[in-house]
Amino acid sequence: MKKISPHTLKKSWKIWFFWHGSSQQGENLLGNAMAHTMSPIIEELYDSKEEKTEAYKRSLTLFNTEQQLGAIAPGIICGTEEAVANEQIAPEVADSIKVALIGPTSAIGDSLWVATIIPLLLTLCMTITNMGGPFLYLGPVLYMVGYPLLTAQMSWRLWQKGYHLGIEGINQFMKSGQIEKVTKAMTILGLIVVGALAASFISASVPVTITPPGGEMAAVNLDDLINRIFPKLLPLCLAYAVYWLYSKQKKSPLFIMGVILMLALAFTGLGYLTGAY
Amino acid sequence: MSILQAIMIALFVYLAAIGSVVGNTLGWYSLGRPLVASFVVGVIMGDVPTAVTLGLLLQLANLGSVTPGGAVGWDLSYATYIGVAGALAFHVGDIAATTALMWAFSTVGGAIGVAMWNLNYALNLSVNRIAYQGAEEANPKKIAWANAGLGNIIGFVTRFIPALIILATTAVAGSQTGINISELIPQWLLIVLNTFGGMMAALGIGILLSFLIKEKWQFALVLFGFMLVVYFNLNMMAVAVLAMILAVLYYVAITQREQEEGGGRS
Repeated sequence: MKKISPHTLKKSWKIWFFWHGSSQQGENLLGNAMAHTMSPIIEELYDSKEEKTEAYKRSLTLFNTEQQLGAIAPGIICGTEEAVANEQIAPEVADSIKVALIGPTSAIGDSLWVATIIPLLLTLCMTITNMGGPFLYLGPVLYMVGYPLLTAQMSWRLWQKGYHLGIEGINQFMKSGQIEKVTKAMTILGLIVVGALAASFISASVPVTITPPGGEMAAVNLDDLINRIFPKLLPLCLAYAVYWLYSKQKKSPLFIMGVILMLALAFTGLGYLTGAY
Repeated sequence: MSILQAIMIALFVYLAAIGSVVGNTLGWYSLGRPLVASFVVGVIMGDVPTAVTLGLLLQLANLGSVTPGGAVGWDLSYATYIGVAGALAFHVGDIAATTALMWAFSTVGGAIGVAMWNLNYALNLSVNRIAYQGAEEANPKKIAWANAGLGNIIGFVTRFIPALIILATTAVAGSQTGINISELIPQWLLIVLNTFGGMMAALGIGILLSFLIKEKWQFALVLFGFMLVVYFNLNMMAVAVLAMILAVLYYVAITQREQEEGGGRS
C-alpha cells in the first residue's frame, strides 16, 4: 500500500495556502496552482515517469474553490490520488470527484467564511479601533494577526479532514447538518451585530430647519423631529434601501453608490436652500 | 510622501492584491482590508490616527465586499492604499478636506486596481504552456516555476508598477510648496463628500444584509441589534457579546431538539 506521509501532506498544504492564486486565469482557473500543490504528493506516490506525467496532466485540469475553507477540496483530492496510486479507484472516478467538489466547497467558503466570519471579525476589530488612543493600533493589529492564524488553522484542519475522511466521509459530514447549524447560529450573531453597526456608524440627516411664520413658535429642526419619532430612523431606512436595491432590484454596488451620491447632493442642496449651512 | 515611502506602499499594494505571493489569507483578506491597509499606510507615513480614521470609513462602506470566483467589481485593496496615501500626502491638516481627498483618490485607485486585475488575469494565460510542458516532462520544478515563479512575477509587475507611478506622482504634487489643496476644494463640495461618506456605511451594511438574510423574520434580529444601540446605548462590544450568547443558545437548542427527535425515532 502506498501512503502519503504526514510531512508530504503538510508540504502540499503549504504550497496551496500561499500560492493557490498565483497564476489563476480563465483557462483552467486554479489548475496550475493545483498541479503545483499536488507535486510533492505525485512525486511520493509514483515511481515511473509515465505514471507521474499522467497524474500531473490530471492535476492540471480546470479547478476552482474558495481558497481558504475550500482547502477541504484539495485535501480530498490528495486522498483520491492515493486511492488511484493504489489502484483502488479508476483515475476517471478521481477526476469526476474533483469536478463535483468545485461547487459545494466554493459555496461553503464564500458564505460561511468570507460573508460571515470576515465581516464579524472586522466589526469587532473596528469597535476596538474606535475606542481611540492605544486601541487605534490594537484593532488593526488584532485583525492582521488573528485572522490569518485562525484561517490557517481551519484550512489545515479541513485539509487533513478531507484527506482522512475522503469523499464518503465528507458526504456524511455534510448530511449531519453540522455546517448548516453552525452557519445558522453564526447568522444570528451576524444579524444582531449588523443592526447595531447600522445604528452606530451610518450617519444620515436632513439639514432642514422650518421656521413657522409669525415668529410665535420656535424653529423646528426636521432631523430632531424624525429622531423623536424613532431615533436614527433615517440610517435604518437607508440601510434597508440599499438591501432592497441590491438583493431585490439586483442593482450593482456602483449604481447604489451613484444613488447615495445623488442623495448627498440633494441633502446638501436642501441644507443650503433652508439656510442650514 | 518621500519616494521611499511611495515604494514601500506600492510594495504593499502588490502583497495585498488577489493572488499575491503571500496568498489570499495573508494578502487580499488581511492586508487588503481597509482596516489593516490604512494602518499599514499610517505606519509608513507616520500618521496612524488619521490613516485609520480614513480606513474605517472605507471599511464600513465595503463591509459586505465578497469576491466569489475571483470576480472583482472594484478593487478595495488598491483603493484603500492609493486613497489613504494620496490623502495623507497633501498634509491638509483639516480632517474634512483630507476625507474628501481620500474619497477622490480611492475612487480612481479602485478603478485602476480592477483594470490591473483584468490585465493580470489575462497575462497569466501565458504560463499555462509552461505548466503543461512541466506535466509532460514530469518536472515538478517547472510546474512550480510556472505557478509560483512566473505567476507572481506577472502579478508583481501589473500591481507594483502602476501603483508606484501614481504614488510617486502624488508625492511630487504633494511636496509642491505654495499649493494648499484644501483651498482648492469649495466648501459645498466638502459638505457633499462628507455627507456621502457618512451614508456610504449604509452600502456596506445593506449588502452584508443581503448575504445574511435568508428569511423575512430575520429582520427582527437586525432591529433588535439596532434597538440595543439607539435605546439602550450599548456599545458594539456589548452587543457582540450578547449576540454571541444568543447564537450559542440557539445552537444548543437546535442540536438538542435534533437529538431528542433522533432518539424518539430509534
